[in-house]
Amino acid sequence: MAVLDGVFREEWGRITAALIHQTGDWDLAEECAQDAFAQALRRWPGDGVPGRPGAWLMTVARNAAIDRLRRSRTYRAKVEELAVMAGRETGTSDDAEPDGDADDGGVADERLRLIFTCCHPALAMEARVALTLRTLTGLSTAEIARAFLVPEATMAKRLVRAKQKIAHARIPYRVPPASALPQRVPGVLTVLYLVFNEGYSASGGDDVIRRDLCDRAVALTQVLAELLPDEPEAKGLLALMLFHRARQAARVDDSGDLVTLEDQDRSRWDQAQISLARRCLEDAFAARRPGQYQMQAAIAGCHAAAPTAQATDWPRIARLYRHLADMTGSPVVELNRTVAVGMADGPAAGLALLERLEAGGALAGYYLLPATRADFLRRLGRNEEAADAYAEAARLAGTSPERRFLNARLAEVRSRDAGF
Amino acid sequence: MQYMLIHAGAPGLDDAWNDEAWAALTAWLDDAIGSGVSIEGAPLRLDADATTVKVRDGQLVVTDGPYAETKEQVAGYDVIECASMEEAVGWARRHPHSWMGAVEVRALAGGSPVVHLDEPPAAGKTRYMMLVCTDPTVEPAQVARVEPVEPWVAEMNGRGTRLFGSELEPTGSARTVRGKDPGAIVTDGPFAETKEQIAGFDVLECADLDEAIEVAAKHPMARAGIVEVRPFRSLGEE
Repeated sequence: MAVLDGVFREEWGRITAALIHQTGDWDLAEECAQDAFAQALRRWPGDGVPGRPGAWLMTVARNAAIDRLRRSRTYRAKVEELAVMAGRETGTSDDAEPDGDADDGGVADERLRLIFTCCHPALAMEARVALTLRTLTGLSTAEIARAFLVPEATMAKRLVRAKQKIAHARIPYRVPPASALPQRVPGVLTVLYLVFNEGYSASGGDDVIRRDLCDRAVALTQVLAELLPDEPEAKGLLALMLFHRARQAARVDDSGDLVTLEDQDRSRWDQAQISLARRCLEDAFAARRPGQYQMQAAIAGCHAAAPTAQATDWPRIARLYRHLADMTGSPVVELNRTVAVGMADGPAAGLALLERLEAGGALAGYYLLPATRADFLRRLGRNEEAADAYAEAARLAGTSPERRFLNARLAEVRSRDAGF
Repeated sequence: MQYMLIHAGAPGLDDAWNDEAWAALTAWLDDAIGSGVSIEGAPLRLDADATTVKVRDGQLVVTDGPYAETKEQVAGYDVIECASMEEAVGWARRHPHSWMGAVEVRALAGGSPVVHLDEPPAAGKTRYMMLVCTDPTVEPAQVARVEPVEPWVAEMNGRGTRLFGSELEPTGSARTVRGKDPGAIVTDGPFAETKEQIAGFDVLECADLDEAIEVAAKHPMARAGIVEVRPFRSLGEE
């Protein structure tokens, strides 16, 4: 049932978040959300989809929770709380914040508490990612395991451990106070970006699930950007994801090979998403609080604005990379800057910058380092050296599409070399 | 003189609690409490529930896990009042943890005297063991510049957050007991041969982990060492 799939994505996080808040029991919340969707799957095809599907599901899930709690008598107080909540229910699905907790940095959406709890810095990064996907997007343990290429039992254990730590160490279920937001928001954005990248980078595994990861990361970032309107980096990250996703259809050719930005069929870029991304980024920039996601989105926006690869504004991209490098101190960003400089000022300028980076040694063993060198050398006509560098890069590359691409370039420079 | 017994055990420690171990613990508590030697003690949650707090370049760094990757994990503690290290080691030998893992014996170096916690935590509060540890990656010159701890102690005592705590004598004077008497082996040094070492401890009572992290981050050693917070575990709790 397609409509249920859409409702599922929209409502799962709200329902689990509300039930976790009211019962403090993560497993119970998941089970009851599952119960509600199972009932919907049974009844909606015959009865028709209710007018407010979210409210319907919330009511069913809450009743399931009350049922389960009644059976274990120790939870009387929680049952009463749930009953009170149900009484206050006015029928919409987004009124699950009856007490307007003033300590919540002024924001009131159950999902926000859940996001901050799942992304708490006292949890290991891989646990944060898994917990976010399971409780906020409803991805099953098996699906998460497949997306991250680990056995299902390993993923199940990771989730159990994370929930245990939340309970044992008493990780609070709340949105941090406004004063702590600057410290906590970046950690949340990191998790969302990691989920997106896992889906976006073709590092193996199931394609359908990977695309799904991207969509879910975008949806969650959208929620976060709406709920935290004063955090420009949330909008920046959303813009970045949208710019990337707009190019998804053109990124891989029919045989599954990666197509470089330069060679992509730009008519296949999704212009609606690009303009949405642009509006998001303008919104973020309006706050005048720059950050790394805004810079990365601005760079992606430069590419998206170019009707042809030749029309790319490389001097501007090089400039943006400089700001980004200053913000992050990351050698990978510096490598990207050398590529941009190589495009703006020519391969010789790029190569000079790259050699300085190589001397630093921070990126030893990273395949894009020799791949970039190879590209500069190829464009300088130094084919023999380029061939050596392509061969080294292919050796270091992790996935087969990347290796295929590098080997194709290697063959190209070798034949050119032989032609002289 | 007060001594801390640090219980260490392998991750599967819970399964090692058989009838013999429980009987030994009961006897130990009877005698240690009866003779007025035992002041305070509690089991702690294992490494998976620990959180590490550091402040580097003014930035708070919070990580999942314990202060160091050790084969054996800190699983509980006792503070006892003894006339000498030898006497303290004698009590460690009788403790079942000495054969379920190891018991490290450390002399307390002043600080606030440890008091017995006869009340459970206040409503809505959780107790945490805060281990103040050394970080071998920090320059000794920087460690030497660490601010005095007294203002932190005064603030946290005033908030009712810190119950007690103390520095420990350096690991050079530590002893570790392993095995079952009469075959128990006593060695010099701490239970784990890691570069990071426990230098002191404080027992905290906080509303939640966020408060414990905030308190830990304010400790002067957060800037020059590693501060771990680990929840207490109630006896009999899973």
